[in-house]
Amino acid sequence: MSAEKQDQLRVAGVRYLNARPLWEDLKSDPRIALSLEIPREVQRMLAEDEADVALMPVAGAATLGDVFFVPNMAIAARGPVQSVLLVSEVPLEKLEEVALDLSSRTSVVLAKLILAHRNIRVRFTDLDPTTARTPQEMREAVAPVVRGTRGAVIIGDPALAIADAFPYRLDLAEAWQEWKGLPFVFAAWCTRNPNFAASDVARLQAAKTAGLALRDALAEEHAAAHSLSPAILARYLHESIRYELGDAEIQGLTAFFDEAYRAGLLPKTEVRFTAPLANRPLTPVPLETLLGRAAAGERLSVAEGERLLAEASLFELGLAADEVRKRKHPHGVVTYIVDRNVNYTNVCTTSCRFCAFYRPVGHPEGYVLSREVLGQKLQEVVDAGGVQILLQGGLNPELPLTWYEDLFRWMKAEYKLGLHALSPEEIIHISELENISTAEVLERLHAAGLDSVPGGGAEILVDRVRRRIAKTKCSSEAWLGVMRTAHRMGLRSSATMMYGTTETARERVLHLAKIRDLQDETGGFTAFFCWDFQYENGVRIEPGDTGTHLYLRQQALARLMLDNVDHIGASWVTQGPDVGQVALRFGADDFGSVMFEENVVSSAGTTFGINAAGMETRIREAGFKSARRNVRYDWLTPPL
Amino acid sequence: MSVLSNIRAKLQNGERLGFDDGVALFHEPDLLALGQLANELREARHGDRTFFNKNMRVEVTNVCVASCLFCSFAKLEAHMPDAHTMSLEEAWKELSDRMDDPPSEIHVVNGLHPGLPFEYYEELLRGYKRIKPDVHLKCYTAVEIHFFAQLYKMSVREVLERLRAAGLDSLPGGGAEIFDPEVRKKISDDKATADEYLDVHRIAHSMGMKTNTTMLFGHIETYEHRVDHILRVRTLQDETGGFQAFIPLAFHPDGNGMKNLPAPTAVDDLRTFAVSRILLDNVPHIKAFWVSSGPDVAQIALRFGCDDIDGTIVHETIYHSAGSGVPQGLTYEHLVRLIQEAGRVPVERDTFYNVVKEFPKASVGEAAFKVRDRKAKKHLAVVEPVRSLGGKEIAG
Ligand code: SF4
Ligand code: SF4
Repeated sequence: MSAEKQDQLRVAGVRYLNARPLWEDLKSDPRIALSLEIPREVQRMLAEDEADVALMPVAGAATLGDVFFVPNMAIAARGPVQSVLLVSEVPLEKLEEVALDLSSRTSVVLAKLILAHRNIRVRFTDLDPTTARTPQEMREAVAPVVRGTRGAVIIGDPALAIADAFPYRLDLAEAWQEWKGLPFVFAAWCTRNPNFAASDVARLQAAKTAGLALRDALAEEHAAAHSLSPAILARYLHESIRYELGDAEIQGLTAFFDEAYRAGLLPKTEVRFTAPLANRPLTPVPLETLLGRAAAGERLSVAEGERLLAEASLFELGLAADEVRKRKHPHGVVTYIVDRNVNYTNVCTTSCRFCAFYRPVGHPEGYVLSREVLGQKLQEVVDAGGVQILLQGGLNPELPLTWYEDLFRWMKAEYKLGLHALSPEEIIHISELENISTAEVLERLHAAGLDSVPGGGAEILVDRVRRRIAKTKCSSEAWLGVMRTAHRMGLRSSATMMYGTTETARERVLHLAKIRDLQDETGGFTAFFCWDFQYENGVRIEPGDTGTHLYLRQQALARLMLDNVDHIGASWVTQGPDVGQVALRFGADDFGSVMFEENVVSSAGTTFGINAAGMETRIREAGFKSARRNVRYDWLTPPL
Repeated sequence: MSVLSNIRAKLQNGERLGFDDGVALFHEPDLLALGQLANELREARHGDRTFFNKNMRVEVTNVCVASCLFCSFAKLEAHMPDAHTMSLEEAWKELSDRMDDPPSEIHVVNGLHPGLPFEYYEELLRGYKRIKPDVHLKCYTAVEIHFFAQLYKMSVREVLERLRAAGLDSLPGGGAEIFDPEVRKKISDDKATADEYLDVHRIAHSMGMKTNTTMLFGHIETYEHRVDHILRVRTLQDETGGFQAFIPLAFHPDGNGMKNLPAPTAVDDLRTFAVSRILLDNVPHIKAFWVSSGPDVAQIALRFGCDDIDGTIVHETIYHSAGSGVPQGLTYEHLVRLIQEAGRVPVERDTFYNVVKEFPKASVGEAAFKVRDRKAKKHLAVVEPVRSLGGKEIAG
């Protein structure tokens, strides 16, 4: 790295209009490497050390848990903000459902708190106006959603442009002000560096001063680009948005964190500052307190998860996870599924370093299973009382989407089996091959018989790690994006984590937090499984953190972090039936599947086999009842 | 008060646990809470230290007149095709071949061969000492010693004295099985009884010899039988103080007279380790014999009361004939790593638990451990025969 680069300050800003006054002046500064992104990406960059300082939505700051606020700057509102609105055709009390624009988690949490405070119980669904550009398009995206007893939370440009299209509107910042008598803070500059330089604070401060003077010009420019009213935007920037983080704002922020924590929506969060405000010494809570909160099912921050992984003993983690498991599944049943993993092709263009299964295009050992072979395998599953096929393969450039569609239709017509097929990586591959969106691929596959999406290929959802595992692996956001799309279509999926390559403990926890964030949005994940990388000759990556102890700790931590995922599975296929059984006491309520084959893992040299009776014995010996399940975790047999 | 808090209270008051406490512990449904208690007791004795040694196991003969149900050697006569008895030269070669990295201890356990002269056993020991004078010889179980006394018409003390003169240093713990007479009769009718077994150890202890003892669990015995067994060990230990380690051994069903029984599961292994640690307040070490439980479960056992994981072991046949799919030996480095991965401090020991070499604890507590040897995971993988529904298939 050149001296100049080292000296650069990496800044991530939210690219929305209301943030521009804070960063506009930084654009021309050669010492600043400025990235302008949507809030989720800003959060990711700070979390993954791709930014030194970031304009963080405050919900994201709470999720990470180890951030320091830069003094005196924020995006906040004292009273009405205009750009975060709950709109409806009926009065608030009549609402039964609210569609949420999920692009701002902070606003979503605020909306939920305010509705709960006003004793309005509604179902939440999602609303996706993110592709709308003009007021006309926004109206078209939002209007059909807001009908009868269904309202919507709209934010940003759509709120500014079309709020008056609806008879009822509640400005959420105003509602907060009414409730608490305090301002609401949406976002603020945050860093993870407790020694963030005073000169950098001063630079951000200077940028803000310069940016505030530019507000009229920014309003005009934005209005022209989006066919909005410059007057409205100027008023918005001058009057609605406040850029201070004064005492009242800090109190408002603290009150928000407290309320969200009490509602289980955010981890317990203390507002801490960088110099020159870093007056309060850090007093970490005793480990026991943290364990108690974890066992009680409270939401944990990334920093807290990291601390548990580093400091809590095997028993402390296991007992806390077991307590959470007990509360989520008080009936004491551990489920398993009878299914079969079929790898339809081993031809793959990705060449993941940990994979001993794939063969490059044109390799003599490459295969695509014929209908005949597949049919035989499926029939065996049916004969053995199996309920599902887990169909995954390499990224084979010779198989067009129609190949999958035909295959799925045929399978569904011939065999009565659930089709749990194609991990996100494969969906993305097909979409690139066909030059269509992943949503279209999923829709067509769904129509052809796809029932659910396996969570494979997640590895570690941190891009630094993904790039090291395989250069061409999809980004974490792309992986999560496919899952988001699938969940929105009503498809369920599992989530996984393969650790033990080059990731750090913190990155494993970040992975869990990303799954939890998406689960907050969609609720589409049924279960989570993790395992460590299985070393074998032929793989091209060094094993990292590994061992049976780590597996048990990691699985327990997953139970503690993933408070919104119903099921945690013990991966006996990778850990062996013995460790798998012990793992049931570390927060798991599912024992995975009685498998016929698992090429990706078994070519890596780990081969275990147990049958249904062996599963049931182990489940019972571990102190549970056993039941067979389907992919949605419904019991197919009474618990025994 | 829950069973565990009751027992905790007793331990805090310095009260000794009794039979009922032991049974209650085995019935404790909360495996982790049980393990935690055992772990506290283990850490009070040994901290994070976890012992292993460089050892070698030899079975010079698998011919046996006894017919233990759990044993794949049972009633193997010398003329049968699978029978094998090493010549002394063959047995010695096992050691001389390893002299570039010699074991510090040799562990010899055999079938009860009716046709070998006593001198064979003496000479075996002398030969090992000739090759490596400081090697520790932990040879012949109490069952063998008892058998020798009968076969060669000597007293147990005489047998032990002659073997000691030939180089015997201590006795291994094998042959204990389950002491309860009813169970013992069913599974191991025609060898030393519990009292005879314990008597051999009593005499060995009185001669200043240290010994280990074992328990074979997970077959037809009940929890009560296990507790009874453990308490008999405790009683003798009160008297002599000669036991160094207690080694619970999981029953393996393949290839023997109890092949229809399921093997005990890992949870039962861990529970048994933990209860053993809690009940045996006077035996210093509880050993997880990794060949029996598999390296992975042995690793977990290091937090369920065990402080010893046996040794590098090259050439083990008893468990392997009974279907143990684990590797035949672990390298020194693997053992060190196995222990470090559990967040413990590996200590290479001699037979008397003197420290030969102490290793550092791995980086950050029990949380993180970097594998340095690329092949590590593979060597530790337990390869069980695949008994899945459809069998393994070659893809299209
Ligand atoms: S893990 Fe999957 S994507 Fe990666 S190389 Fe193997 S088959 Fe291809
Ligand atoms: S356990 Fe020992 S005494 Fe019993 S049959 Fe096997 S070798 Fe013989």
